[in-house]
Amino acid sequence: MNELFRYKTKLLILCLSLSLLGGRAHVDAQEKKDFPFPCTQYKFNNNGLHVILSEDHSLPLVSVVVAYRVGSINEEPGKTGLAYLMENMMFMGSENVNRMQHMSIINRGGGELNATMTEDKTIFFQRVPSNQLSRVLWLESDRMKSLQIDASNVEQAKQAILEEISLRKARDPYLQSSWRFDQLLYANFAFGHPAIGSEDDLKNLTVQDVRDFYERFYIPNNAVLSIVGNIDRKKTLEDIRKYFETIPEGEPIPPVPLPKSPEKKSIVESLQIPLAQSPGFHLGYRLSSPSSDDFYVLSIIEYILLRGKSSRLYKRLIKREKLVLQLNGGIEKRQDQARLKIFVVNNNQFMVQRCKKAIFSELHKLKTSFISEEELKKAKNMFLKDYISQYSTSLPKALFLAETFLSRNIILNPAEEIEKYMAITPKDIIGVTNRYFGIESVILDIKTE
Amino acid sequence: MKVKNRQTIILIFFLLSQIVLYSPLLSQERFRKTPPIPEPFPILQLPEIQHTSLYNGLSLWVIPQNDVPIISLKIIVLSGESSSPENLPGLATLTANSISQGVSDFSSSEIEEMVEFIGGNLSIEIHPDYSLFSFTFLEEYFDQALELVSRMLIQPTFIRREIDSMRTAVYYDLLEKSSDADFFAKRQLLQSLFDNHAYKKSTFNEDVLKNITQKDIASFFYNHYRPNNTLIVLTGNFNINTVFSEARRFFTRWQRREINHSTPPSPEPQENMKVCFIETPGAKDATIYLGNIVMPATDPDIFPLLVMNQVLGGTPNSRLFMNLRESKQYAYNASSEIEFYESCSVFSIHAKVRPEVVESSILEIFKDIELITNKKIPSFDIEQAKSYLIGNFPLQIETYNDLTSKVAEHKALNLEDEHWNKYYENIMLINSEKVFELAKNLPLMTPVIVVAGDGDIVLNQFGAFIKEVDIYNKKGIYLGTYKFD
Repeated sequence: MNELFRYKTKLLILCLSLSLLGGRAHVDAQEKKDFPFPCTQYKFNNNGLHVILSEDHSLPLVSVVVAYRVGSINEEPGKTGLAYLMENMMFMGSENVNRMQHMSIINRGGGELNATMTEDKTIFFQRVPSNQLSRVLWLESDRMKSLQIDASNVEQAKQAILEEISLRKARDPYLQSSWRFDQLLYANFAFGHPAIGSEDDLKNLTVQDVRDFYERFYIPNNAVLSIVGNIDRKKTLEDIRKYFETIPEGEPIPPVPLPKSPEKKSIVESLQIPLAQSPGFHLGYRLSSPSSDDFYVLSIIEYILLRGKSSRLYKRLIKREKLVLQLNGGIEKRQDQARLKIFVVNNNQFMVQRCKKAIFSELHKLKTSFISEEELKKAKNMFLKDYISQYSTSLPKALFLAETFLSRNIILNPAEEIEKYMAITPKDIIGVTNRYFGIESVILDIKTE
Repeated sequence: MKVKNRQTIILIFFLLSQIVLYSPLLSQERFRKTPPIPEPFPILQLPEIQHTSLYNGLSLWVIPQNDVPIISLKIIVLSGESSSPENLPGLATLTANSISQGVSDFSSSEIEEMVEFIGGNLSIEIHPDYSLFSFTFLEEYFDQALELVSRMLIQPTFIRREIDSMRTAVYYDLLEKSSDADFFAKRQLLQSLFDNHAYKKSTFNEDVLKNITQKDIASFFYNHYRPNNTLIVLTGNFNINTVFSEARRFFTRWQRREINHSTPPSPEPQENMKVCFIETPGAKDATIYLGNIVMPATDPDIFPLLVMNQVLGGTPNSRLFMNLRESKQYAYNASSEIEFYESCSVFSIHAKVRPEVVESSILEIFKDIELITNKKIPSFDIEQAKSYLIGNFPLQIETYNDLTSKVAEHKALNLEDEHWNKYYENIMLINSEKVFELAKNLPLMTPVIVVAGDGDIVLNQFGAFIKEVDIYNKKGIYLGTYKFD
């Protein structure tokens, strides 16, 4: 009885508070005026939705991004592929929007749309003439609130993905090795399994699995809505309120357990891929968290080593010594984890060995000799242009804001961030290279016969 | 106990009051049933384009913008692959790629270093009518960028070693593209449509590159890379006066020369249907390209053509996609497009389909074509297509690079205000009658059809609608004709 009394009292207090608020959710606002592009961040207190708005009236356009903090790292063993399947399902209709209607409404207004899913986030974005904004909000809110999940569209999405996996395998013989390499480099199921999922798991996914995943992760308190372009902030906020305010908050999502702290040991493994025409290898290093101070320096090191035709590895492996048929690489971020990954295809095993030696020798140089001011300036300038390009127009800006918020829970001032990158010295490069590029590397050799 | 009863009564009272209070809000959820009606299209204020020329004939088009500290620069040399000699297709491509391979004081590697030092990115695109160089870089290095570009345009050294290395890179680039069915099927379509025309030279394969010498490149450069045959389009934080004085500083010594260059005559459309087949054994899908030659972009009929294309296959909600993919489930994608040349345009349809339904897919494509050539498109569809074309225009000019690309294409193809300042008005004037008048006279029922796919599954399907099929390999070499009984 006491229980019931307490429950009634709580309900009474809740009702009183709601009536005092007059049915409108409270919204916290935080203005960022000193940004290169002023923006305002809001939080709907009733359902936890984060909203970021930035006005840009240079063209009558608006970009809308809805990003959910969910990706393949949220999948459990035996249920891989759910995150990618969910991204596909989001285009297959919701309570008030038919299959193809989302695409059709955006296209008919002259707009464009797309989506992307990575290990730690799923992002839906549209770029439309600004008169179409309310329609985009209507569409996005409907699929956040009430996605159509039934046996027929789940099956259709599964078949499309299975076909995609089969095509990707046929086109890229090295896909198998890159999946194995991720398992070795991340040493954790959540972070290391293929984002697209396994064919067996996909086939076994049930409608209920999909519904559970949607209800758990596609909720306002796990999302950020970022809108950039020719908008009136006040009116836009009213529209957002109209479409998103009544979507109920979901259960809080516990963070995915991080992999054990980077193991201080090297791993060397080899994999036989008969379909591959040439041998090669994957090389990886475990780096510090993307939110650490060292990460600023690591980002510039990535440019020194791998970005552009005048980068150290490109020049040496491709131009000077002609050791490789293919060279790809860069820093990869998966939530709080970061890795440097290099993938090389060579003509033969002799070249594989020479190539590894050349890479290690370049890393050694970076650890032991000061980089010239000019080369460092070049890396910084290339980085700067790419960084600025992230907020040059409405869609990159909306994506930049949403992704920054998802990874850090705050939006850092890009101008201040740039200063940190530009202040990096040759001494910093030596220090950080020595900290992260030791002998504790992960190597996966690819054998063809 | 009394206290608890009172609590219950108060609670019931509040619950009822909340229902009354929230009922309008709940009823408002009716807004979710239908999409909101959009406001009218916002007014598009096109950026101002300023123009000036240097005394040597170099034409400069400047679009002042100050949103980000980046400059986008386009150089358009008004000679493309159609200007290559008959026996040396590919020469315009190798020449364009050669100018960054060394100048008087710097090697190709040093140029790469210089480009990247200024946060730059240089790319090259060869069109049949022109050669386009795109360069973006950080604003603070404007002087250095112009100086570098001027050296590449005035003093390239064409050192044999550098040219050989560049030729190898272009060769492998083409070879890699040639493994993509979309690439070689489209190339085959253009090769067949432009048979006996200067534009055919742009459909060359990687094998022809070995025939081109250092001397050929130097000669093509000498004859075509002249200020009076070149346009520069720039956008960034500056005005025309600044650009004029900087351009004068770096480009004055570039000498003009009479250019032996004229617009190619308009190619004739294909009059009878022709089918080309390219064997790709074991391919999981079949690639279909189907198209014909239509009027150039300077023709006023291009506006109804744009609307017609949009209805037929401009976007995924157009008829081809909805029919071939959504309704029949033959295709992964299906679309149509118009490609502009100086003396014509090419209207083409592209579909990626299951190999066993090639014939059915082609028949469905013809049904969709007949639906627009035999009867008027309903006004509703026309208005939706116009809505897309008008709404999408600002999306095409949002980045600095997109903006300069659009202006560069306009200038290179001699398009005037009709396609820029008056684009909206021209699209708005189109109605069902105008599209029908145009469509019924277009050569859409006598196209060249190219199919790339597994011969064992695909080849026999053609017998249903044609008597013979020309067989080509992936390089565009004719292998023979397959005749059906």
